Amino acid sequence: MIELKEVSRVYDLDATPVHALRGIDLKVMSGEYIAIMGTSGSGKSTLMHILGCLDRPSSGKYSLNGEQVQNYSQDELAAIRNKTIGFVFQQFNLLPRMTALDNVMLPLIYARGSVRASKEEQLPRAQNALRLVGLGDRMNHRPNQLSGGQQQRVSIARALVNNPKILLADEPTGALDSQTSKEIMTLLEELFTQGITVILVTHDNDIASYARRVVRLKDGVIISDSLNNR
Amino acid sequence: MSVWELVVLAWQGIVANRMRSSLTVLGIVIGIAAVIALLAIGYGAKLESERQIQALGLNLIFIRPGAQSAGHVSMGMGSSVGLTMSDVEAIREVCPAVAEVAPGYDSTQQVQFAGQNTSTNISGTVPEYTTIRNFHPESGRFITQQDMDHSTRVCVLGQTVVDNLFAPGENPVGKKVLIRGEFFDIVGVMERKGVTAFRDMDDQIFVPLSTAYNRIFGFNSVKGKTVQYILVQAKSEEETLPAQFQITNLLRLRHHIHSPNPDDFYLRTQKDLLQTSEAMSSVFTLLLGSTAGISLLVGGIGIMNIMLVSVTERTREIGIRKAVGASHRDILMQFVVEATVLSLTGGIVGILLGIGSSYAINYFTSWKTEVTPLSVIMSFTVSILVGLFFGIYPARQASKLDPIVALRAE
Ligand SMILES: Nc1ncnc2c1ncn2[C@@H]1O[C@H](COP(=O)(O)OP(=O)(O)OP(=O)(O)O)[C@@H](O)[C@H]1O
Ligand SMILES: [Mg+2]
Repeated sequence: MIELKEVSRVYDLDATPVHALRGIDLKVMSGEYIAIMGTSGSGKSTLMHILGCLDRPSSGKYSLNGEQVQNYSQDELAAIRNKTIGFVFQQFNLLPRMTALDNVMLPLIYARGSVRASKEEQLPRAQNALRLVGLGDRMNHRPNQLSGGQQQRVSIARALVNNPKILLADEPTGALDSQTSKEIMTLLEELFTQGITVILVTHDNDIASYARRVVRLKDGVIISDSLNNR
Repeated sequence: MSVWELVVLAWQGIVANRMRSSLTVLGIVIGIAAVIALLAIGYGAKLESERQIQALGLNLIFIRPGAQSAGHVSMGMGSSVGLTMSDVEAIREVCPAVAEVAPGYDSTQQVQFAGQNTSTNISGTVPEYTTIRNFHPESGRFITQQDMDHSTRVCVLGQTVVDNLFAPGENPVGKKVLIRGEFFDIVGVMERKGVTAFRDMDDQIFVPLSTAYNRIFGFNSVKGKTVQYILVQAKSEEETLPAQFQITNLLRLRHHIHSPNPDDFYLRTQKDLLQTSEAMSSVFTLLLGSTAGISLLVGGIGIMNIMLVSVTERTREIGIRKAVGASHRDILMQFVVEATVLSLTGGIVGILLGIGSSYAINYFTSWKTEVTPLSVIMSFTVSILVGLFFGIYPARQASKLDPIVALRAE
């Protein structure tokens, strides 16, 4: 489903280029649950951005569902972000002026072509997504009227509303306390059991223990890739 | 995202930033309102002067002595004989296209009634004057042929003179006024005509031309009585050009002017005046157009400025929208539509304000205003175009943002 080959990412700020990723090879099968770990600055977020088609590799190949996406245009990548991959950020990244429901509607509004839900379908789908994450009673609240955990649920609902097969989460519990983190992890576990491929980044071993496979990064290189024995 | 969704989105953004939005569109509002109101004044004035000119009939011809120079200023008055009463008679008898002829001689004189004093224009004229100028007495009568034949001391007052000399409600007809030391019987009062494009028609006293020569102006030329002007009415509008031709030929013959010497008199028709008035109003419109253009340019730059600020402020929002799948075009459209809705809102407010002020001007001043539908449609279109034009650059800046870079913005 996902296959990275020799992927590297170089940020060339100033005179000294930063090699955030160096020759990453990674294969992810459909229905996997992967945790990516590593020290700060090891390249986890960079890797997630490339996986999530928010960024493109400087070199190497990225095959997603058989498509070579490394050379896709910005708009083609936008379409993938919209329908194929859901992305959850550490900082939630909700639009502050909009209600939870409107935030969840966004991917529906930007959907194109055959995946676009009709007008009448959009609202119930967004409502369903919010119910799925347990926020059926908070639909018309704005982000600043919601707790951190609830905001992260909204952002998960938004990631799921177009029924993607892959959910990427960059430190989804990084801004949450341990109790709330647990609830979010339970939700992700549930999604995983429904067949969604989940890849998350974490610093926390407890969080990583939810995953079935753990990939460790150091200085932009994969140093270990092992199955969790739970 | 459909355009309508974008419009709704843009409107929400504008309402959320009410204060800033209002200040942003102020330039557009004032510009559009000024254009609507000024065009309404200009158009109203144009209609009014056309109405006045046409009320006199397009078959009216003015003849004045003096060579016609570029600026319609009469030249060489001293050297030329001018126009005489015998010219008037000749025109009346010889020119077949001419219906009526009314010579005139004006002079400003001191006038008294019961201790009231005023200075006004004494117009020596003939009975035909009323027909030609379509200007009639409201009470009493006008000058008649008998008055002419007997040089009687009668006069007809304009309304302004009545206002100046008589108490309100007092009927001047039958009373006597003192003009240049002689008493004149008031036999009529003219209807109120108002100020035409050239003079206050109500501020004058009409006396028989013959009386005027005998008693007020004196004989003024060895060649006979000269007149200051001759009003001629052609038989119809179509006969105006032939009449002009006939009169010109006749007067050149009578004044012994040979080609290539220029005329020592000049003719002007109401058509000429109409054209002058039209030319003036198109200059006026052009000036307004440029003023409008400048104010809209300023307004548009204001919108562009605030849109650039908005793009910078909302970088993170743009990043989020891109992250969930907004395309280049989606973002571009969002900001273009926002700028356009902003500018159009300003335009609509400006249109309403402009219409309101032209009604107010109509109500509170003597100017007649007339809002033209064209100016409203144009303002509407222009405010859309201003938004599109000045919105496109900030929108392009927004749409070019890289999602990751944008998401990292604070
Ligand atoms: N936009 C950028 N420009 C320049 N360098 C960058 C940029 N983004 C990341 N880097 C650099 O790339 C390297 C990897 O960064 P990345 O954000 O992927 O780390 P990370 O593993 O997610 O760290 P953390 O755990 O702190 O989130 C770091 O050295 C970082 O400084
Ligand atoms: Mg990171």
